[in-house]
Amino acid sequence: MPQFDTTFLASLLFWSVISFGILLFLLKRFALPGILEMLEAREKKIKDSLDQAERLKQEAQQLLAQYEAKLTSIHDESRTILDAARKQAQLQLEENERRMEQETKRMLAEARSEIQREQQRVLREVHQTAVDLTLLAAEKVLSRSLTDADHRRLIEEAVQEIAQQAKR
Amino acid sequence: MENPLHHFELHPLIPIHLFGFDLSINQAVVMMWVVVAAVSLFFWTAARTRQLVPTKIQSLAEISVEFLRGLVIENMGERGMRFFPFIVTLFFFILFANLLGLIPGTYTVTSQIMVTALFAIMVYVMSLIVGFTVHGLHFFSILVPPGTPGWLLPLMLPIEVISQLARPVTLSVRLFANMTAGHTVLYVLFGLMLAGGVLIGWLPFVFTVVVYILEVIVAFIQAFIFTILATVYLGDAIKLH
Repeated sequence: MPQFDTTFLASLLFWSVISFGILLFLLKRFALPGILEMLEAREKKIKDSLDQAERLKQEAQQLLAQYEAKLTSIHDESRTILDAARKQAQLQLEENERRMEQETKRMLAEARSEIQREQQRVLREVHQTAVDLTLLAAEKVLSRSLTDADHRRLIEEAVQEIAQQAKR
Repeated sequence: MENPLHHFELHPLIPIHLFGFDLSINQAVVMMWVVVAAVSLFFWTAARTRQLVPTKIQSLAEISVEFLRGLVIENMGERGMRFFPFIVTLFFFILFANLLGLIPGTYTVTSQIMVTALFAIMVYVMSLIVGFTVHGLHFFSILVPPGTPGWLLPLMLPIEVISQLARPVTLSVRLFANMTAGHTVLYVLFGLMLAGGVLIGWLPFVFTVVVYILEVIVAFIQAFIFTILATVYLGDAIKLH
């Protein structure tokens, strides 16, 4: 096997050490610090982002809770307002009904008394008229001596007059 | 057909001799440079856009770094982060060496047992140093698994010593053997295709494609295994059971 030929032993070992050393120096000096730094920066960035996301999430949840509480209170408030309004309306309605009833009763009573008054007045008038007419009729009968036919005619006249009077 | 292991041979491109050592530049060395350049380019492209919302390359680099960081922390604890640059370099060096070696015409650095052995011994020696610095002589208790009855010690001690010493060997051989075997199989299949002509050659060609895909996966898996074992060995030294 050519690999076991030791002719190049010194050369291979020497140059291996040199090459490896140079690479080690280059990586250690230039490449690795930057990459490690970058890895750490990215780790930190990701961690920060996650933390922030968590914080924002909590904030959002808090806000949500606040809004929900507010919403509930608003709902309650609206319900009380509505209830109050309904009660008010009910009261108003009842009041109106009561007043209307009273008014109606009052108007009915007034109308009734009016009717009674009018009735009495009419009765009085009828009475008066009857008296007047009777007097008139009596006058006419007494003022003339007349035939039977005349009597009959006169009476009819009187009756007609009375009827006309009554009609009026 | 020529020797399928022939393409693992190294040839000096630029001969260099320093202090009595032959430090010639060969294909493997050039590929190491290519690997270093490719990994650097990858990270440069990834780091160029440095945005909070990453581009594709950036995200690829970040995912792999993140993954390796998880690996280090899981196996070595927070204290292990000191070794993090080493682990990242190890992973990307091996991975890119494996992957770039799969490009026809290139050389697979990790198919050289001397290279894999170097990395394995590096990891092992590092774990020993860490173990003795953190725990002092108490580090020897790594040879005694917790809960071992006293009368088992004569049996356990040699076994544990062997298993400890086997670590760098298995670590280096695993990667080397996987790479060598994969490339050899690819080479043989491809040779068969060329030799088979149009009538029968399609069969090895199909196999070549399948094995190639497999080798890409193996490239990732072997880089991953090497790295995870490195973290485990170092983690053992840090945590001591």
